[in-house]
Amino acid sequence: MATVARKLDLRVGELVEIDGRRYEVVPDKTGGLTIEPPIAPISELYENRGMKPAALEDFERLTADYPTDGEG
Amino acid sequence: MNPSSRTLPVTVRFERKEWHEEVERLDKHSPTRVRAESARREIEGGATTLDWKKCEAKGEGGINLPGCVKLYVPLGRQGASEAPFGFVFQLAQDPDGTLLWNFIAFGERHPENPRTRTVYERAHKRLHGRYP
Repeated sequence: MATVARKLDLRVGELVEIDGRRYEVVPDKTGGLTIEPPIAPISELYENRGMKPAALEDFERLTADYPTDGEG
Repeated sequence: MNPSSRTLPVTVRFERKEWHEEVERLDKHSPTRVRAESARREIEGGATTLDWKKCEAKGEGGINLPGCVKLYVPLGRQGASEAPFGFVFQLAQDPDGTLLWNFIAFGERHPENPRTRTVYERAHKRLHGRYP
């Protein structure tokens, strides 16, 4: 019996639930789309915890002599 | 002593949500997850000299990680073959003003599979809500 593909009209950023698990629609790096477990934005997590990103001045003070490696 | 090898004067924190999404997404017995868990134990145990590196505020491929630092995993290794993974942390502030390095991403530095997201891409998505 031939398997019939279900067509889904999904956009980047949408969430889908499959078998009780949530996935986010993301670009697949080759021009298509794929789904993966969501990565919660840090802004949401910090808001829930009352946290915030530190000031740039604090970061520069703490890491002034730290090297970079050009990777990312 | 290399100045970058000293212990940072702020606490490192691994929050449950970030750890779950970055490390516990992997099979419990996978070598990758085991390495991440081992590195976390070493960091929290305070017994390891940590080779911190600054992330690129504006890096290649649109990856922007301002306010972030990283550690190669396994700890203490340098080359991509010896340390194929990385932790990324963002300098954050608690409600009482305390500064801390908050863990935001774990993954491969240079994945062989071109579809696999790098740890830097995952960190970018954590910060900006989308991949670069």
